[in-house]
Amino acid sequence: MALALLGAIGVYSVVAGDRLVAAVAAIGGIGLFITALALVGRWATLLPWGFVGVGAAYAVFLALRTGTVDPRGPLVAAAFFAAAELSFWSIERRNWRSEGQVVVRRLALVASAGLATAIVGGLLLLVTSGRRIGIGQEAAGVAAAVLTLAVVASLARRSRDSAST
Amino acid sequence: MTRSASPKLGAYSGLAALGLLAALVLRLPELVLLAAPFVLVAAVSALQVRAPRIEVEVELDRERALEGELLDVRIQFGPGDGAERVDVFLELPRGLEVEEGTNPSTLRLVEGERRLLPLRLRSTRWGAFRVGRIHLRTHDHFGMFRHEAVVDRRQPLKVYPTEQVVRTLLRPSETQVFSGNHVARQKGAGIEFADIRQFVAGDRVRHVNWRATARRGELWVNEQHAERNADVVIFLDVFAEARRGERSTLDPALRAAASLAARYLRQRDRVGFVSFGGTLNWLLPSTGARQLYRIVDAMLDTQIILSYAWRDLVVVPRRTLPPQALVLALTPLLDDRAVTALLDLRARGFDLVVIEISPLAFVVPKRGEMQDIAYRLWRLRRDAVRGRFERAGVPVAVWNDDSSLAVAVEEVDAFRRHARIARV
Repeated sequence: MALALLGAIGVYSVVAGDRLVAAVAAIGGIGLFITALALVGRWATLLPWGFVGVGAAYAVFLALRTGTVDPRGPLVAAAFFAAAELSFWSIERRNWRSEGQVVVRRLALVASAGLATAIVGGLLLLVTSGRRIGIGQEAAGVAAAVLTLAVVASLARRSRDSAST
Repeated sequence: MTRSASPKLGAYSGLAALGLLAALVLRLPELVLLAAPFVLVAAVSALQVRAPRIEVEVELDRERALEGELLDVRIQFGPGDGAERVDVFLELPRGLEVEEGTNPSTLRLVEGERRLLPLRLRSTRWGAFRVGRIHLRTHDHFGMFRHEAVVDRRQPLKVYPTEQVVRTLLRPSETQVFSGNHVARQKGAGIEFADIRQFVAGDRVRHVNWRATARRGELWVNEQHAERNADVVIFLDVFAEARRGERSTLDPALRAAASLAARYLRQRDRVGFVSFGGTLNWLLPSTGARQLYRIVDAMLDTQIILSYAWRDLVVVPRRTLPPQALVLALTPLLDDRAVTALLDLRARGFDLVVIEISPLAFVVPKRGEMQDIAYRLWRLRRDAVRGRFERAGVPVAVWNDDSSLAVAVEEVDAFRRHARIARV
């Protein structure tokens, strides 16, 4: 399922674009291959690189694209996130069956998170599209992005530590 | 509980960082949408992370079971904190298998609610176990953080070996002084006719043999054999075993020992136990149901411990081997120390019977000319050891898994019926 979602993103990037289609297809294909390899081998460290590949293909497609923002961006984001969730779920080293309630709740969580991503993303695109951005707003955006990255970095550092409570 | 982050957290953080950077550099707002859910999920998970308080108890439906029986285990979760996903793993020793239920299992705990996880186990092998060590691992909603703990609620469980069918028991050549079920050589109060003799003052009238009295013209009385008990010592050779997978020669040996001890104790004999090997374990002969439990409990602790130290009968306490006791040795005849000790017992005048637990079923001969010769030599050597016992007047019955213990006992009985006294 995760591969199918990622494949759909790759196909969309290739089909919707009209420039350097072969390059986009190659980058997306490499990303899919790496993801498939990581899923088969259950390598959690390799898995994000597959997503980087598919995301890069989408980014190249967007960069080569002319005109306004991609209206299907929120859907792509939702599919990308759902694919990530499903991929990490499938490589969990668990060879026993979970309770039915646990599986249903987890599926519902992934579906609702994907749906929320699509809706919120759509709203954000609607709000930001057609607006002229001044230099001050751009600076604020960069600062916000840097702050976010700092938070993410601190979380990543925290993720390496184990704490006893 | 020990907290750790899953690789997913690092991957999501990395993907989010890369997406945001790319969005900034390439000025593509769509990439912000791509990265945003990863940032949100990682941040929310990190903010909400906490160690859940989980109360867990383990209940066994009984403390004792027989090999092959089913027993129920209830893992009870108290009304503690909830957890979205909890992996529960009950550590089971070798010899216990899950018959019904899932182990390990993943379940959801709702805050403030009790939860029961029933498991049905099958005891596949005898032994003394402690059951109830539980490994818990909780996950948050998106599986970013996990908390692990080991809860020790172990309770003792004794699995006794199943009893083998033994129709007749070996009769000891000598009996003891207490009353029992064996017909003694000595004359005394009993049922079995022994002889007649002239009446003396004090003889009871009911013992008068009227036919002999009429023929001889004076009073003659019947004499009976006394009915006495016997001392039986179960001698278990634990120097070495032949093992194949989960099965070994020790298993049938213990089953036979438990069965023989139970049968002899049931007919009021005194039964003792010696486990002779890398470690020495013994029980003085005694009677009654308590002695049976003592013997079986001692057997449950029996294991093969590799030792190169030479051991002989000197290390066995003298009271463990009372004079005129019937010694029933259960041995795979794999270790020379056990063979020497048994022959030494015979030389000291003990009434010795060897039941050989055949290791042949546990040995797979390798292919090849040399391996074949080695296997045949090993078997010939075993025959030679058996011959040494037979020359010393010791019956050796070979017991395989295919046949019943009763057959082996009958074989020994037949040997003893036709045996002559041997001087060693």
